[in-house]
Amino acid sequence: MIHDEHFGSPERRRTLIIVVFVMFAMLMLRLYQLQLLYHVELDKKSEENSVRALVKDPVRGYLYDRYGKLFVDVGPSYSVTLVPAEFEKRNIALLSSILQMEPQTLEERIARARAYSPFLPARIKRDVDMRTLAAIEENFTTFRGVSFQVESKRVYPTKAHASHLLGYRREISDAQLSETDEYYRPGDLVGVAGLEARYESLLRGTKGFEYVSVNSKGQIIGSFEDGKRNVEPKEGFDLLLSIDVGLQALAESLMTTYSGAIVAMDPNGGGLLALVSKPDYDPSIMSGVTPADLWSELQSNPTKPLYNRATLTRYPPGSTFKMVLAAAALQEGIIDENYRIHCTGGFRFGNRVFKDLHVHGSVNVVEAIQKSCNVFFYQLMLKVGFDTWTEYGRRFGFGQTSNTDTGEETTGLLPSTEYYDSRYGKGKWTQGFLLSLAIGQGEVGVSPLQMARYAAALANGGTVYRPHAVELVRNKETKKIEPIPRDSSLVGLSPHVMGLIREGLLRVVQSPGGTGALARVQGILSAGKTGTAENTHGKDHAWYIGFAPFDNPKIAVVVMLENSGFGGAKAAPLAGMIMEKYLYGELIRNKPKPVPVQKTVARTMTPVTD
Amino acid sequence: MFDYLKEYFDTKALLICLGLVILGLLSVYSATFDVGAAAAFKKQVVWAAIGLVALFIMAFFPLKTLQRISFPLYILNLGLLLVVLVVGERVSGSKSWFGLGGSGGPAAFGGQPSEFAKVATVLALSSFLARTSITLSNAKHLMLAIGIVIVPMVLILAQPDLGTAVVFFAMVLPVLYWAGASNFVLAAIVAPIVAAAGALFGTLVFLVSLLVGGTLLYLTRQNRFAVAVAFGLTLAVGLSVQAVYERMPAYQQKRISTFINPGSEQKGAGYNVYQSKVAIGSGGFFGKGYLQGTQTQLNFIPEQWTDFIFCVPGEEFGFVGASLVIGLFTGLLLHGVNVAGLSKNKFASAASIGITGIFGFHVLVNIGMSMGLLPVIGIPLPFLSYGGSALVANMSMVGLLMNFYANRKEH
Repeated sequence: MIHDEHFGSPERRRTLIIVVFVMFAMLMLRLYQLQLLYHVELDKKSEENSVRALVKDPVRGYLYDRYGKLFVDVGPSYSVTLVPAEFEKRNIALLSSILQMEPQTLEERIARARAYSPFLPARIKRDVDMRTLAAIEENFTTFRGVSFQVESKRVYPTKAHASHLLGYRREISDAQLSETDEYYRPGDLVGVAGLEARYESLLRGTKGFEYVSVNSKGQIIGSFEDGKRNVEPKEGFDLLLSIDVGLQALAESLMTTYSGAIVAMDPNGGGLLALVSKPDYDPSIMSGVTPADLWSELQSNPTKPLYNRATLTRYPPGSTFKMVLAAAALQEGIIDENYRIHCTGGFRFGNRVFKDLHVHGSVNVVEAIQKSCNVFFYQLMLKVGFDTWTEYGRRFGFGQTSNTDTGEETTGLLPSTEYYDSRYGKGKWTQGFLLSLAIGQGEVGVSPLQMARYAAALANGGTVYRPHAVELVRNKETKKIEPIPRDSSLVGLSPHVMGLIREGLLRVVQSPGGTGALARVQGILSAGKTGTAENTHGKDHAWYIGFAPFDNPKIAVVVMLENSGFGGAKAAPLAGMIMEKYLYGELIRNKPKPVPVQKTVARTMTPVTD
Repeated sequence: MFDYLKEYFDTKALLICLGLVILGLLSVYSATFDVGAAAAFKKQVVWAAIGLVALFIMAFFPLKTLQRISFPLYILNLGLLLVVLVVGERVSGSKSWFGLGGSGGPAAFGGQPSEFAKVATVLALSSFLARTSITLSNAKHLMLAIGIVIVPMVLILAQPDLGTAVVFFAMVLPVLYWAGASNFVLAAIVAPIVAAAGALFGTLVFLVSLLVGGTLLYLTRQNRFAVAVAFGLTLAVGLSVQAVYERMPAYQQKRISTFINPGSEQKGAGYNVYQSKVAIGSGGFFGKGYLQGTQTQLNFIPEQWTDFIFCVPGEEFGFVGASLVIGLFTGLLLHGVNVAGLSKNKFASAASIGITGIFGFHVLVNIGMSMGLLPVIGIPLPFLSYGGSALVANMSMVGLLMNFYANRKEH
């Protein structure tokens, strides 16, 4: 007999009903938790799940020169893409040989792409040539899943390389990816040198996105919401440069046999007209993806073609630096134009004789600049003192970066009391150190770019500008052309002091037998200063700084030639041609024809004010 | 007319069942209409129609006859289970199908005898317990009762279909409880289950589960010998589980291990649960709208028309729709317990509880796993999941409940 008192007893019935209710409560509580509490988070996940964004690269901004000439263009580049799920592995050998890639590298790339999504086309090789494309087309039926997409790459339509100025782009590194904003994805190109790097955020534009629905395997099954949420890519902004492409090309051609730099600058504002560093390279080799062997060759090349000599070198400026001391002495009232010393061709200081090249006899400050009399400046340095010299060097922009937009630059080295104290110890260095500095030798180190703004300041009457290559930006969002703010500072020289120094510079070029005579420009007065920097490692470096026209300077130029000897002989003629080309629009000289000197010297000196 | 209906026709069970079947058809349509399995929906409609016929046949089948043929039906089903093991088609690793044209999968017609074996076993067990000579305090009788359940269960485990096999355990417990089994008997059944489950979680949990099982047995105040035997059984089951676990197909092992450590594999077995949770959670209060569920429509959820069908109402109809589904099921379960309580006939009463137990276990485990509460052990959601034989079997069981309700005053 069954336990009848228990069979279906109300007590057991109640228990079962409680069990049902507990179950109900449990499920409802979880449902509430998922659908109401975690809804936002899970909804986001579901959206990420089902929607993929295909990136559409924007067109990078164009670069124009000062006359509106297209300097850096954008052209089509073909990238080979591959859908990992469709590609048959046995074709790896054939494809890698067509792409000229190691089979292993190809396999790695496919594996990486597969990890992201086996069904989305992934870029396997950027910027392939037409022959590669044709070879892939031929094997179209074999290479299932292999296709190509058109992207943009840099095109350089002019004769100028301007490689150090323009810079280049490379595939973004993992380190950069981790420190930059979320804009970039692996495989993106990013500017890493020159203007391409400095103006990356303006040039790059904004990526567009095409939203597609994918299924759980990642296969694209159609556009998402009929493309309503698609975002068109936005073109990058154009840069309008102060560079004169023709001048740049000429400057480069003048430097083909040299190692060094030319910087030309507008003295009224600081816009760069040309910036050359030699040896250089053709930037179009870096317009797409630089092959690894080419890259390593550029890096290991003993002539250092990647090294920007215009902004990164730190050479003693030689006699071109003497105007700093002259300016300090005159402006501080330590001497005036009537102050003279007698040059006997040498200067005994302590038990050492500092030599001059010539015996100059009695010279004042203008003549000392004209004749580059070392003895005058040795003595002047002792009168002026180290700290004042350093102060004026600083005012001319030395010992600090210029905040240029053309890429990496050095601060150079402008020695000071603090510097020597920390380097050699207090009292461990002598006044003798100063005599070298007086004539731009010793530890003072400058870059051609720094020298350019120094030359521009001497040309414009004492305003030190921030050297820059980009004057204006064409903002494609506001449709406006926007200026780049430019900074400047004043050296603080009176028109009278400026006039004396400029007179000296004028005579360097225009007086008979002046050291800068080779920098003359037919029909136009040019002024400047030569320099020959002693080089403990080899032949002297040749310097020339100058500007023209004298009365209303339009161009300041610096030429620095490594290991080339005398500045007057080697650097000055190049500077002359640069000025001529810029001022006339072409080279009018076949042979330099000297401008009559009397005319100029007889002129009353008109101080140039800003 | 209405009085007659109220007296002799179980309108409530029918309406709940039809409501669930309609929700099920909507869900199956949504889950399959663009994945090349659109034929599945049409077949499910046909099965629903067959199910409705089966429901009415069961609802009006003479109760006494039913009780009488329940054993022969049971034997017939055991035979079918044996045959399917030998000649059945293999569908996702299990031999559980009779193919009727075409191969297995959602688009093929076929039958799973295990679905009908559940009904037949419930009826056979109930008719056994309804015999006046049977008492559950008699160990032999108890063993026979459990034996009735164990035999089909073992045959189904051999397919191997873990989920369906477990359902038999879930059904036998409430029936024995309802039939008056003592606390000791229940504890002796529950303790090995606890130990078996504990064995899957490693030694420490296993020891704790043994302690829990032992305590349960001790609390029933049975004589020491009986407790010792029951505990020995518990220990034996627990120890053998590990061995059985190792012989399981890899996908079932994975399902279990994923439950133990849910975060372990997002793309493996845990992937289903993850996607399912995302689908349900992203539905929010009102849902994304019918056929608008991105998870569902983009086939993120594997087997979404079968085991994970709950995602469809969850995602597309939101909290409102999902609550409706849970609510309807709860109503059906309460009604089942109610019918059992009202029945004067012990066979009908016990069978009502068995049917309710089967439904309850399916609902709890299926919806629980869809929401990441319970392990994924592959059992369908009654009325909603795609599957012809399950739908017909489930609708037949509702028909039985309606029959028991109509005949509740008969002895």
